Amino acid sequence: MIRTHQLSRLYPMGDSVVRALDGVDLFIGRGEFVSVTGPSGSGKSTLMHLLGCLERPTSGTYEFEGRLVHRMTDRQLAAIRNRDIGFVFQTFNLINRTSALDNVAVPLIYGRKRNARAAARSALEKVGLGNRVRHNPGELSGGERQRVAIARAIVNNPGLIFADEPTGNLDSQTGEQIIDVFHSLHAGGVTIVLVTHEMEVAMQAQRIIRMKDGRIVEDRVMDDALRGELRQLGEQASGAATLGSRVG
Amino acid sequence: MFFLRICMMAIRGLQANLLRSLLATLGVIIGVSAVVSAMSILEGANRDILERFESMGADQIMVVNGSSQRQSRHTVLPSLTPEDAEALEELSLVKAVAPEVQAPAQIKYFRKNRNVTILGTTEAYAQINDYKAAAGQFITHEEVRAERKVCVLGHKVAKELFGEATAVGYRVKIRGMPFHVVGVMEKKGFLGFREVDNQVVVPLPTAMKRMFGLRNVTMITVQAKRQDLLEACIQQVKRTLRNQHSIRAGSDDDFIVFTQEQAKEQLADITKIFAVVLYSIAGISLVVGGIGIMNIMLVSVTERTREIGVRIAVGATRFDILRQFLIEAGIISLLGGVLGVLLGLAFTDLLENITRVLHTYTPSSSIYWALIMATAVGVLSGIYPAFRASRLDPVEALRYE
Repeated sequence: MIRTHQLSRLYPMGDSVVRALDGVDLFIGRGEFVSVTGPSGSGKSTLMHLLGCLERPTSGTYEFEGRLVHRMTDRQLAAIRNRDIGFVFQTFNLINRTSALDNVAVPLIYGRKRNARAAARSALEKVGLGNRVRHNPGELSGGERQRVAIARAIVNNPGLIFADEPTGNLDSQTGEQIIDVFHSLHAGGVTIVLVTHEMEVAMQAQRIIRMKDGRIVEDRVMDDALRGELRQLGEQASGAATLGSRVG
Repeated sequence: MFFLRICMMAIRGLQANLLRSLLATLGVIIGVSAVVSAMSILEGANRDILERFESMGADQIMVVNGSSQRQSRHTVLPSLTPEDAEALEELSLVKAVAPEVQAPAQIKYFRKNRNVTILGTTEAYAQINDYKAAAGQFITHEEVRAERKVCVLGHKVAKELFGEATAVGYRVKIRGMPFHVVGVMEKKGFLGFREVDNQVVVPLPTAMKRMFGLRNVTMITVQAKRQDLLEACIQQVKRTLRNQHSIRAGSDDDFIVFTQEQAKEQLADITKIFAVVLYSIAGISLVVGGIGIMNIMLVSVTERTREIGVRIAVGATRFDILRQFLIEAGIISLLGGVLGVLLGLAFTDLLENITRVLHTYTPSSSIYWALIMATAVGVLSGIYPAFRASRLDPVEALRYE
């Protein structure tokens, strides 16, 4: 589904250049559930933006379902984002003044689809919000808002969903419910790329890619050994956090 | 269908910020309402004046005192006399001639009195203007020749002084002089620029010699035998008057001749000047309105940066974004245009009801144009903000706080 070769993205910063992404070779197959993790500034967001066709690489190649994305025009990129890719963001990014239904219908409008309302309604039903279609985002809880965002991401039946810290603004219980939604989408055959710095969330995936300084430093399929290792890492991290807060 | 959906999207966006949208379009509202009401007043006045010209009759030639030579340094003395009128009556192309003088005076009947315009003229006046008596009769040739102290009351004058009772045969006092009422005229409204219903007609020599001590007439109305001979008739009239006034070849006329047609043309020229001034003001106010819209649209684009990022992320092309903001700007200003038209119509109506003299007329074309212009201004001033929105980098837009 996704194949990159020496994918790089440089940002000029005054006199120097920031290598946000530095020669990434990556393959993600159809139907995978991958999480990308790493500290902030590691390049995971940049990777998602490039893979999500929101920007073009400075160098390297990116093949999406056999099509060369790095050579595409703006219009072609927009079409791919519209039909083949769905985004879920940490802050939901819903349009506050319109109903859940209208929010979900936005991609359908740009895709010139007929029966947008019916399709939007069925997407909302899929995420368990069939009874909230008329509510504005302001009237919904955080978890519900994120579900609306997921419904918007899947309304065009894309093969690939990018989720950027989808649980970052939610309490852990609601976060788990959202992860469950991703699991069920995955079970339905959708490829999922989950970007997160929370180990516990990352562990939900079948494969974990760890990044640092714009490079992939670890790429492992989740097995029990890794699971244990990560759990330990997580505990250490939270221990350090408690220690830090005590010191602070 | 797609276009409709985008429009709906824009309308929802505007609804969410109704007050701001209204403020944004305030300039357009004021501009459009000013244009509509000014147009209505101008067009109303224009029609009023035209109607009065029409009532003059297309076969008439008006002769008044004065010089057509503008540079003339000395003021021109009145030159037209009753004898001129008699001479004009002899002409082959002339059907009738009505010389006239006019002056304000007070008319009295017992304790009632009223300020009116006294028109001294001849029997031809009624004939030329197709002005008929409702009771009694108009002054006759004999009464004119004999300089009789008789008068004919205008419709309003008779009603004020006599009410429903008959006035014919009674005696009224004009400037203290007793006059015999021989007739009451039909209701006519305006003849030319004169409100004849508030007018009292007396024989020309009576007015000139016995009442006001005048030697010259103010105007001579000449009716041509046929309308298609009007030009030739004008030449005859001019030649005769130059002869009468002993004007040498090469010298200027000491009178002015004009027809309904020429008066209308002059009016059109004046209207054109007004229209140019009006459209300039309209243009300026719409530009100001456009700046207001541009300002608010720029704020809106900044404020909705994230939303724009999301729209791009879910597949909006740059053109989609551009179009969305252009449509929003267009809808805001169309809304302003509609409100402006309503406000302008209301203002016009109010003005007509308060003054009760001013007649207004709103041509429907002016409404269409106002709306088209308002929308065009909105779309034009939306171009730059919309362009800015469409050039946003989605990654940065999504991060925007």
